[in-house]
Amino acid sequence: MKNKSSKYTLDVKRYSLTIGWLYPELMNTYGDRGNITVLMKRCQWRGIKAEVKHLNPGFSISELKKCDLLLMGGAQDKQQEIVNKDLKRVKAPLSEMIEKATPGLYVCGGFQFLGKYYKEADGNIIEGLGIFDLYTENPGKNHPRLIGDIVINPMFELGHKPEAISQKQVVVGFENHGGRTHLGKNIKPLGKVLKGFGNNGKDGFEGAVYKNSFGTYLHGPILPKNSHFADYLLHLALDQKYKDFELKDLDDSLEWQAHDSALDKIS
Amino acid sequence: MINVISIILGKAIIFLSNTLNLGSGSTWPGHIALSINPNFIKDILRSHMESGKLKVIIIAGTNGKTTTGRLVTSIIRENGKTYLQNKAGANLINGLASAIIKGASIFSLARRDPGRLNQDYLIFESDENALPEVLQQTNPDYVIVLNLFRDQLDRYGEVNTIAKKWQKAFEKLDNKTVLILNTDDPQVSFLSKKTNAKVLFFGLDKTNGENKLKHGADSIYCPKCFHMLDFTEVHFSHLGSWSCTNCNLKRPKPDLSNLSYYPLPGTYNKYNSLAAALFAKAEKISSKKVKKAFKSFTPAFGRQEKIKYKGRYVQLFLSKNPTSFNESLSTVKELGGKNFLLVLNDRIPDGLDVSWIWDINFEEILDKNFNITVAGDRCYDMGLRLKYAEFFTHIEPDLRKALDHAVENISSEQVLYILPNYSSMLEIRKILTGRKIL
Repeated sequence: MKNKSSKYTLDVKRYSLTIGWLYPELMNTYGDRGNITVLMKRCQWRGIKAEVKHLNPGFSISELKKCDLLLMGGAQDKQQEIVNKDLKRVKAPLSEMIEKATPGLYVCGGFQFLGKYYKEADGNIIEGLGIFDLYTENPGKNHPRLIGDIVINPMFELGHKPEAISQKQVVVGFENHGGRTHLGKNIKPLGKVLKGFGNNGKDGFEGAVYKNSFGTYLHGPILPKNSHFADYLLHLALDQKYKDFELKDLDDSLEWQAHDSALDKIS
Repeated sequence: MINVISIILGKAIIFLSNTLNLGSGSTWPGHIALSINPNFIKDILRSHMESGKLKVIIIAGTNGKTTTGRLVTSIIRENGKTYLQNKAGANLINGLASAIIKGASIFSLARRDPGRLNQDYLIFESDENALPEVLQQTNPDYVIVLNLFRDQLDRYGEVNTIAKKWQKAFEKLDNKTVLILNTDDPQVSFLSKKTNAKVLFFGLDKTNGENKLKHGADSIYCPKCFHMLDFTEVHFSHLGSWSCTNCNLKRPKPDLSNLSYYPLPGTYNKYNSLAAALFAKAEKISSKKVKKAFKSFTPAFGRQEKIKYKGRYVQLFLSKNPTSFNESLSTVKELGGKNFLLVLNDRIPDGLDVSWIWDINFEEILDKNFNITVAGDRCYDMGLRLKYAEFFTHIEPDLRKALDHAVENISSEQVLYILPNYSSMLEIRKILTGRKIL
């Protein structure tokens, strides 16, 4: 079995995409860099010029506003404290972008930050940005972290060509979180849990969707093995920038092989 | 008396398990002894430690424990002394108790001298989470701490969580203990701050290292005030010359930073060698003896171990987390290697989460002139990682087939470098040598 790395398309790079990576040095504990790599390569392989802006603490608002797609990962507690402080500073412009339907993927810590608050194991409450109608509570030391492989069925049609992926809808990943997230009325879950814990291990839902922003606990990282989700994000971002943009198909046989072998292992 | 029963029972289990090849003799005896008497280890060690006859050495750190343990034992042997050591992989408290049971003299049992250990040293490689309890149970003479990196986040949790636990445990040590700490690792070095134990530091002198942190560095914040640290030199990951501009905490000067001979290639092995040599210095063992021990050193299984297979040489570089993987890649590249077999499993000893492979810096370390074969339970994950690094890869789920393919494609003067994680290393070693070790 050979896996040939795809060739660059030498088209004139008419199209371009700017990805904003929020706090790359602080929020990168669980291989989150892989999500960025996947989005970049999947643009480049289609001849779309892709650029990543590293938005570290103190970044300028004008840089943020140049971004077509936002990503934020998870981190250790100490790092999250620093990030939470800086997020307060950029709350208004970030909210505005999310409200204007700028696509974004917020994993684990990033997902929790967009909610109303995070209650730590010792009862201390960290205020969130309140953009997502949800809150997260860590029930304390006597409750185990929710750790393991997870499969979810997204509650909307993923992919730029829904008919092509109907039987390959599910998203696979790995979750590892102490906090339990509860969604409010004004937000929808990303998917139904088929295997694993999800937001809180109880209500059977995972993640959240608000306009074009997606929150999730799925690591793995999420995008390499779920190329349909990666392309869905690219589609949303490019469609918003260039009306009726159509993504070219890529050879995703290896992506699906990894996806399906993870699925086999879990079920 | 109860401990005597535990030892006899334990020895019987070890005997049975060896005879029947059950492979559980390195944890079960200790497990039983500890459930009968939770203070089993403390009780046995107490009398020995008071007389000063037996010295206890604990080795901790994410990467390099086994190699450092082996370097330490090679020095002890060269010095004409004896030792007792836990079996590879049995790094929890029951592994320690099992090692004691195995080492206890049968003859002393008859003399009602329970658990007499006749060795000069007891060496224990401790699991990160087990370390606080191990320290409490043993009150050791030496604690060697090598480093702290992200590893198996689903099992160990985050680096800072472990650092906090260790900090608390180190506060309880008294001045009988000598700490041998890596000064280049900010969190490890900081363990010296709130303890009554004596402290010795090892670290690396200026090398041709870089002055920039690369992706995957873990401890880049001041362990005291959480301000971002300044690095004037980085050897790899977050190991280097660090200082905090906010609270003025800085890397303490090392007591040992250079050796005339290193037994194994790789910067990470320089640290392991320095740690072992600093222990020798503290024990007043001459540097001549250390050099002699290092010259005749053979690597531990899976750690740069060279094996001949089907007329070709293969060399195993255990690579189980982003830092050890990056260091293995760099070392193989320095050695002029061109052929890789990467094996990725996700079983219990490996950690179930393979996200970390996206933190490996393939793009920065390798170029297109490498032949890469990928195998293991999660070979498609690794294959995908390499696809996105734009490397040409051969993916083969079956380990034996993958190995044969990789070996067939090299010439007799070339070496196949195998980078497996833990369970896949045991598996591939079994194929290579035809027998099981653990």
